[in-house]
Amino acid sequence: MALFGGSRDISLFRHINRELMGNVITQQCAFYKYKLEETKVNIYGEAAEEKYYMGPVLLNCLIERTNQEFPETDLGVDFTWGITFKFLRDDLLDKNKDFNIDTDLYGADLVPEIGDIILYQEGYYEIDNTNANQYFFGKNPDYPNEINPLNPGLENFGSSISIICETYAVPSDKVGISRERFI
Amino acid sequence: MANIPIWPGSSNFIPGNTPFGFYDNDYQFQQDADKFANFAARRLGYPIVDVELQDLNFYAAFEEAVTIYGNEIYAYQIRQNYLSLEGVNIANDVPTVNGGPSLAFSQVTPNLGTIIRLSEQYGTEAGTGGNVDWHTGSIALTSSVQDYDLNAWAVSQGYADKDIEIKRVFYESPPAIMKYFYPYVGTGAGIMNVMDTFGWGNYSPAINFVLMPINYDLQIIQQIEFNDTIRRSNYSFEVQNNKLRLFPIPDGTVGKLYFQFLLKSERLANSITGDEGSISNLSNVPYTNPVYTHINSVGRSWIFEYALALCKEMLGYVRGKYSTVPIPGDNVTMNQADLLSSATSDKTALIDRLRAYLDETSREKLLERRSLETDYRQKELNQVPQLIYIA
Repeated sequence: MALFGGSRDISLFRHINRELMGNVITQQCAFYKYKLEETKVNIYGEAAEEKYYMGPVLLNCLIERTNQEFPETDLGVDFTWGITFKFLRDDLLDKNKDFNIDTDLYGADLVPEIGDIILYQEGYYEIDNTNANQYFFGKNPDYPNEINPLNPGLENFGSSISIICETYAVPSDKVGISRERFI
Repeated sequence: MANIPIWPGSSNFIPGNTPFGFYDNDYQFQQDADKFANFAARRLGYPIVDVELQDLNFYAAFEEAVTIYGNEIYAYQIRQNYLSLEGVNIANDVPTVNGGPSLAFSQVTPNLGTIIRLSEQYGTEAGTGGNVDWHTGSIALTSSVQDYDLNAWAVSQGYADKDIEIKRVFYESPPAIMKYFYPYVGTGAGIMNVMDTFGWGNYSPAINFVLMPINYDLQIIQQIEFNDTIRRSNYSFEVQNNKLRLFPIPDGTVGKLYFQFLLKSERLANSITGDEGSISNLSNVPYTNPVYTHINSVGRSWIFEYALALCKEMLGYVRGKYSTVPIPGDNVTMNQADLLSSATSDKTALIDRLRAYLDETSREKLLERRSLETDYRQKELNQVPQLIYIA
């Protein structure tokens, strides 16, 4: 059994993170999850027609913006703007998790993936990379390597803190997101 | 694991919520516990920021503060009164409070019991009281024998070897009064001449009809003693390791020599008194925890402040278990260092303030102040013109 990084400690971190992100920093974004099963693809595996997204879901996050750049290419002047969105992983887990079940604010039940769209300040940003490797004490409780008789209960120790999404700006007309139907 | 709940903004105290439960059934304590929890949470920043403590933490701090307050008060009382309390039989002499003996509501009038007990040792050695018996023994003197082993004598009498300690030896020259009428001592012969002159010389020398002043008798006795001191062998002795050496060496008219002694074992044994039911040290002076209802507003104010310092300390430890807390993509450092240093300084200051307050109300200080007041009052009264009344 590990001595540090138990579930009580992780609960404290979750409290602090949610207070920090939700009440102190209060940066938010809207997350559009790509609906792969409804998107038709061509023979090259590219989207043949429209893309479909779920959402949006409003999420607390930490946002790290870079400067806008205007590189010159053979086709003219381009525009790039990379933004990194950092999410608390527990916020993104499903509603039935015992730390999400008693609140309406958390439990988005989504896994950020490449191709998902994030709306931030009237701009759309497509995810081109995700990282979920910030482990507290270097330990991911989803992989306790059970059954270890010398160290039982390892699933209660450590934490995967964050999911970090690196994005780039995409023009609004290219995304062309419009409401598909009312639920 | 589910979220561990933190302070939600309110609480509802029920008996059993404190670690020790010393005051759980005290109605005032129950009322103040929730008020304090609210007070402390607000002082720590709630509702602007979360306070990572639960109501149980606040209650624990509150209970500890009350207990520490009582400890300080009662420790001070013990220091003030210990000399008067040591040896008191707890079951018989201490009043009962809440089912058990307690001095919490008692006034202790100073007494000399312990002082006298402490002084008994001097009485024992001086032969003027004390708590160790002096025994009497005698040894037959032998003509021409100067040294006598009193240890050997003690063993022969059934005492342990080297257990006796000689306190007094009755080996002195005969009192001068015994030679007062001794015709060859060279003193006092004047009486006979006077009697012969008066025609009473044929009466027995032991019958004296001449009325002499008492200073005459005293001078005669002093003359005899002085004569014996200068011209004759002194009666003296040495005692070394219970080996007795006599001066002068006893001659043919010897008898018994008496002496007094004590037993070292009795001296040690008699220095231990008391039993399980008596006050023997600071730990069993019967002061129980204070009754919260009876603590006045001055005391409660101190308790609230001290409990708040404890809450700060707890919060500091909670936030400081890890030097940094991970947030997505980064780490943050919490304010545990500030909380801990503030809590430590607050606690020290509060304890110092309470002790200073207690010192100012010590019996010594109160009497000193009263004396000063009397002096100043008298000085002020002296400013009033004193009239001379003629009857």
